[in-house]
Amino acid sequence: MMRLRGREYGEHESLVMAIVNRTPDSFYDKGATWDDGPAFERVRRVVAEGADIVDIGGIKAAPGEEIGVDEEKRRVVDFVAAVRAEFPDLVISVDTWRASVGRAVCEAGADLLNDAWGGYDPGLAEVAAEFGAALVCTHTAGVTPRTRPHRVRYEDVVADAVSATVALAERAVALGVDPASVFIDPAHDFAKNTWHSLELTRRLDEMTATGWPVLVSLSNKDFVGETLDLPVGERLTGTLAATAVCAWHGARVYRVHEVAETRQILDMVASIRGVRPPARTVRGLA
Amino acid sequence: MIVATAVCPSPPLLLRELTGGRDVAADLRKACEEAVGALIAAAPDVIVVLGADERSAERVEGRIPLSAFGGPGERVPEAEALPTSLAVARRLLDDLGVRVPVEMGTIAVDAGPAETARRGRAIADRPERVGLLVMADAGARRGLRAPGHLDERTFPVDEAIRAALAAGDTAALLDLDPALCADLLIGGRSALQALAHARSGTPVAGARLLYADDPFGVLYLVALWPGARR
Repeated sequence: MMRLRGREYGEHESLVMAIVNRTPDSFYDKGATWDDGPAFERVRRVVAEGADIVDIGGIKAAPGEEIGVDEEKRRVVDFVAAVRAEFPDLVISVDTWRASVGRAVCEAGADLLNDAWGGYDPGLAEVAAEFGAALVCTHTAGVTPRTRPHRVRYEDVVADAVSATVALAERAVALGVDPASVFIDPAHDFAKNTWHSLELTRRLDEMTATGWPVLVSLSNKDFVGETLDLPVGERLTGTLAATAVCAWHGARVYRVHEVAETRQILDMVASIRGVRPPARTVRGLA
Repeated sequence: MIVATAVCPSPPLLLRELTGGRDVAADLRKACEEAVGALIAAAPDVIVVLGADERSAERVEGRIPLSAFGGPGERVPEAEALPTSLAVARRLLDDLGVRVPVEMGTIAVDAGPAETARRGRAIADRPERVGLLVMADAGARRGLRAPGHLDERTFPVDEAIRAALAAGDTAALLDLDPALCADLLIGGRSALQALAHARSGTPVAGARLLYADDPFGVLYLVALWPGARR
């Protein structure tokens, strides 16, 4: 069972989390939603396309100009409040590793803290518990936020991801976070080379077998680009293929740039798995 | 007596299985094979490999852990896995069909002057004909897409290392600042300083730089130093 913003989701429901960057320099959109106007347009569009969650982030993952707490808050807090006002039922997630930012966005109406840097600030889970917010626990092998993988190695990358994320999830529950609102994320590309991310995709069933709902963030990432030798902007097909495999293995939440395409993939895989009836079946039946 | 010294970098992508359909490091691997081949051709009694790692260890044995990087083959327990620098060295030596004994050890990336001196002198003082293979990397912060992003301070330091290897200049290697090199992710600083101690006191004639490029934001240097004439 998963619970977000008081709503419960059944075991075969999967959710699309749409990325909304409040950054001037993110790798995919390169600042397209840096200004309030385009950012709001993005939220309205992804909601219309069927997004269940918006994930608002104020700092790109790659290295770059250092963004302090005040600037990060300036980028996201008021925006969260404005989205909350316009969309009372929408699940709002914020992508941050900082507890102080987590506190400010929860006060502004966020429901979910996407701790994309794997518990770097242990206070973030405490904030989730205090505000009754949900939490994403990611596997980043303890690296410093905004660093790139450099010759990283694992005895068994999947076992490492499982043990690290489950430990973070159990800690969050011990701190008082609702166990139905804790997600684990293998964090493709984070502290991983392409082989590692491919193996995590191939063996994602080992993460879903833990019973914790699994979130995957695959969208247009470098492991797709390296696998197909394609630049950012030409990785949608590969992203959707990886999405299908993760869906087959039972992932529950998909953090994406392209909402409509992802929704189609998830519906198709759900029907292949036999947990969603096709939309309309006439062929051979008339 | 050191009869020849080779310096190679140790990116995992030198392990061919890890670079996918296209061999992205063919030129670099070829340069490394030339350097290590020359080391073998110098007819050493033993090849001593010194590679950078998190910790120092005088003698290290183990297997190449392709699986640690997501590559093919059975999983190698970490306790049996070679450190990355030595895994790359092992592969280079195996590919060249090395016949003489190989002794491998690591030096900590943060090793200080006393340790680098001790390790270097210990190799130089060995009575046998030693072929010394040093696995050492230069800066990893050479561009916006580099593993360590861009740090402009890396360029003069990397250039100093390049020039020192090209000229056989041990004094220049000893001048490298450990703290700055750590900042710049220059993993090979301690290994290079151990090399400098091993080769100091006797001029290095005929040093050759076989490769110097940074195709992926990390400066790779391949060098060959012939042994000192007695």
